[in-house]
Formats: sequence, structure tokens, C-alpha cells
Amino acid sequence: MNGTTLDVLYFARVAELTGVREESWPLAAPIAASAWLRELEARYPRLAPVSRLKLAVNQQHSPHDRVLQPGDEVAVFDPVTGG
Amino acid sequence: MILVSPADFSVADQIAALRQRTAGDAGALVSFTGYVRDYAQGQGTQSLYLEHYPGMCENEILSICQEAAARWSVLDYTVVHRVGELPLSEQIVLVAVASAHRGEAFRACEYIIDALKTRAPFWKRETLSDGQKFWVQQRESDTEKTEQWRNGEGEPA
Repeated sequence: MNGTTLDVLYFARVAELTGVREESWPLAAPIAASAWLRELEARYPRLAPVSRLKLAVNQQHSPHDRVLQPGDEVAVFDPVTGG
Repeated sequence: MILVSPADFSVADQIAALRQRTAGDAGALVSFTGYVRDYAQGQGTQSLYLEHYPGMCENEILSICQEAAARWSVLDYTVVHRVGELPLSEQIVLVAVASAHRGEAFRACEYIIDALKTRAPFWKRETLSDGQKFWVQQRESDTEKTEQWRNGEGEPA
């Protein structure tokens, strides 16, 4: 995949706090997920603390030390509560 | 068979279909059904709203079922999970596993529902009878349970 943006998805409580469910996030170069999460928190202060949020990159659960690439689909959500 | 849908399901029909798909080979079929209960005790749960991540959700459940099938001798399985608004006492989820022997069917079924609770991207929002709504938080006991399976616990010696 390539591109100049992240395709960011928000779910459940996180989507309520951002007010959007999906957005394109300009990204010219790869970035550590933890650094990107700090940018996310700057845009949406109500998401703090972002350290307890979960990420999925291209629909796979991903740790915060993973590197995000332009073109990635990144989902942000709380720990899951199905079943 | 994996299905994520707002529609209610018949446990009897799903078990009959799994039985048919494994007839002659299966010596055991174990199933688990989860229902909407009064989560916040005494505060009067009226309904649950289930949100999910379409695509990832089905793929994650499939991975979990494949892990169970690789670890125990699973012949076939069925997982049905509902989404959307679910009133008190409605069915939420069915996990059914067919195997040659009961021990493997019991363990695979429990593994699948335990892993689903901590990995499948679903989120529950509860509505109380007074109209108050809140997102349910993940239970520590659920994550600990999943951790035990990873450590090889939860299995008889």
C-alpha cells in the first residue's frame, strides 16, 4: 500500500469523543504509532490518556511500538468487550 | 461457520447443522450461548448496543477458531455473534464445536469464547432503565483467562 495519508477509523466510545468515525490523516513519512498517538491526543484532548487505547493496523491488533506507513488503515478503540 | 449479524439465531438449528456437517466423525458437540443480562446489578439494564469492526471482526474470530482447531482435534465449528440493539435476555453469541472426544470439544469451545472476549473487535454500550448509557469496560478476569490459555494453563494434566 502507498499514499500520503493514514485512513483512520474510530470505534465506540473513541468515535463519540472524536465526533467522527473515519478521517484521512496526512502522513508523508513513516511514524511510530506512539508518536502518532501523541498527535492524536493533541487533536482530541478528550482521548487522554492515549496510552490505554488499542490500535489495529490494516485490521490486525498492533502494539504501540509499531511503525505506521502512509496508506495504512489504523483503527483506534478501547479494549474490546464482545461475547 | 462464522456469522456476525444483527439477526437472532436458533441454537437448535445451528447445532443441527453442525451435527450434520460432522455426522459419523463427531463423538461430541459442545456449545456455549451468551445472553444479555443485568450487567450493572440492581441498576436495571434495559438493553445492550453491540458495535463491531466489520471485516477485522470476522477475520479475528476465524484466526481464533483456527488456533483452536490446530491445538485440539476440532472437526468443525460454528460461531454466531449479534450486533446492534439487544434487549435484556436476548441471545448475543453462540460458540459450538464438534470433535471426536468431549474433552477436546469442551476445551476448544471455552478457548474460543475466552479469546473472542479479549480479541474480537466488539464493544458493548449498556442502556439502563433510567435512560443512562455507558460503554462497558473490559473485565480484568477476561484478560487473565486469555493469558492462562497462552501459558498452557486451563488444561488438565
